[in-house]
Amino acid sequence: MTARSDGLQRFMLGLVGIGLFLGMWQVIGVYRLAGLTWPPLTDVLAFITDPSKQTLFGRAITASFSAVITGYGLGVVAGIALAMLGRVVAVLKPGLDRLIAVIHAIPLVALAPLFMVAANRDATPPSIAALGVFYMIYVATTSGLNAASATHRDVFTALGASPVTRFMRLELPAALPAIVSGMKLAIPVAFIGAIVGEWFGASRGLGLLMVSAMQNFQIPLLWSAVLIVTASSLALFGLMSLVERLTYGRYQ
Amino acid sequence: MTVPAIRLEHVGKSFALDGGKQFTALSDIDLSIGKGEFVALLGPSGCGKSTILRLVAALEAPSSGRVSIEGADPQALSRSHRLGVAFQDHALLPWLDVRANVALPFQVAGKKVDTARVEELIRLVGLSGFEKARPRQLSGGMRQRASIARALALQPEVLLLDEPFGALDAVTRRQMNVELQRIWSAQRITTLLVTHSVDEALFLADRVIVMSGRPGRIIRDITVPFERPRKPSVMRDPAFHQLVDELTLALEPEGEAE
Ligand SMILES: Nc1ncnc2c1ncn2[C@@H]1O[C@H](COP(=O)(O)OP(=O)(O)OP(=O)(O)O)[C@@H](O)[C@H]1O
Ligand SMILES: [Mg+2]
Repeated sequence: MTARSDGLQRFMLGLVGIGLFLGMWQVIGVYRLAGLTWPPLTDVLAFITDPSKQTLFGRAITASFSAVITGYGLGVVAGIALAMLGRVVAVLKPGLDRLIAVIHAIPLVALAPLFMVAANRDATPPSIAALGVFYMIYVATTSGLNAASATHRDVFTALGASPVTRFMRLELPAALPAIVSGMKLAIPVAFIGAIVGEWFGASRGLGLLMVSAMQNFQIPLLWSAVLIVTASSLALFGLMSLVERLTYGRYQ
Repeated sequence: MTVPAIRLEHVGKSFALDGGKQFTALSDIDLSIGKGEFVALLGPSGCGKSTILRLVAALEAPSSGRVSIEGADPQALSRSHRLGVAFQDHALLPWLDVRANVALPFQVAGKKVDTARVEELIRLVGLSGFEKARPRQLSGGMRQRASIARALALQPEVLLLDEPFGALDAVTRRQMNVELQRIWSAQRITTLLVTHSVDEALFLADRVIVMSGRPGRIIRDITVPFERPRKPSVMRDPAFHQLVDELTLALEPEGEAE
């Protein structure tokens, strides 16, 4: 009961916070407090919903979202799969950890031009998104697979569990909260990867829209693209927070 | 003499402490438990009772001496799914409900889950109606009982119980003692029970072992004379009281005994 009303209160406070933020945006825009490059929120919304802009936004959103979804999906699957491989085939683990740390140490942005020349230019956004997501999920899964408590391991030992049973019935379920947390944190990473990838010259997408709007000083277009990306990323992040909450309730 | 079910020969156990020093938890433990025998282990906190259980369960290796079960390595027992353990801190899996926790040993052993047996065990430990509850929705005593049901699921040959009734009220505890005696009598599982209750040890066990701490060693080994099946009324027997007094005295630290 109290937990629920607590949650409700937090939710309401969150709404109030978002409302205040949007209100300030509007006020700054209306009174030109930050100059001409800061349009009021209502102008941006009107621009996004303008019927004549629907095909423009529609195509860009489809392109960017498919890059985000592809990159996210690939990254999650590869991250979990390689972490599991490192767990099951223990000899591979040190090598995998080293390799993945090295890949992570290279700034993703620096890899983008390589992708542009080495691969198809439209493959760059999902690839960069996938790399960033992959690293997060690999780290989360690896640490999650160590999360089972010593007593629970003892239970499985005393019951005579085979390594496979131990993995499937203990280590994997115990890793789930960490994996879900990783999947939540990986959502903005997937968006960043896709948008940055598009900046380097994808043929369509919200990132491309941002760059061209910036260069041509199309302020409402620029803000619209940013707003769409930010709102989608936040919405998905919120959704994953909910999933995370449910998982923690059940698995810990 | 036949091979004892559980045998500890001059077993010592020391743990490495952080400072690089060694801590001797057990020294020169010599203990034989016959097949089908029920032995209770009494002793002050920290004297190494759980450590003995962990050695028998092959969760810990002795630093010196030898632990064997039916003449073989203790690992052979758990590997062949013939060991039942109820740990001191229940150790139920939080993501499974009571029914799934009790059924876990079947799945780990790669056997088909005997649902009738699972239901029966849940009923035996008084958790009917809580089959779908998750461990965190249960009280401490209920978790302990679920963990006992899990330990019994595969009809083990050796049963290790580490203070299984510690969190129960006196009435439920007595009921559980009667149930445990019934289960043990029906199957004659070789049982090693750690308890802090002298009454419980005398009511349930064929033999009571008393330990003292620092380092842990065995100071008394008493055979309990009462006939089975024992009814709770045995606890009012003068002979029972005499043994309670004797054991309580043995449990007191040496300095305060006089
Ligand atoms: N893994 C370990 N590392 C270091 N010391 C340990 C370890 N396990 C147990 N000990 C020490 O060994 C001693 C005996 O521990 P044990 O858990 O067997 O006691 P116990 O008799 O079961 O006590 P209680 O009645 O409180 O459960 C304790 O002093 C404890 O600190
Ligand atoms: Mg103990």
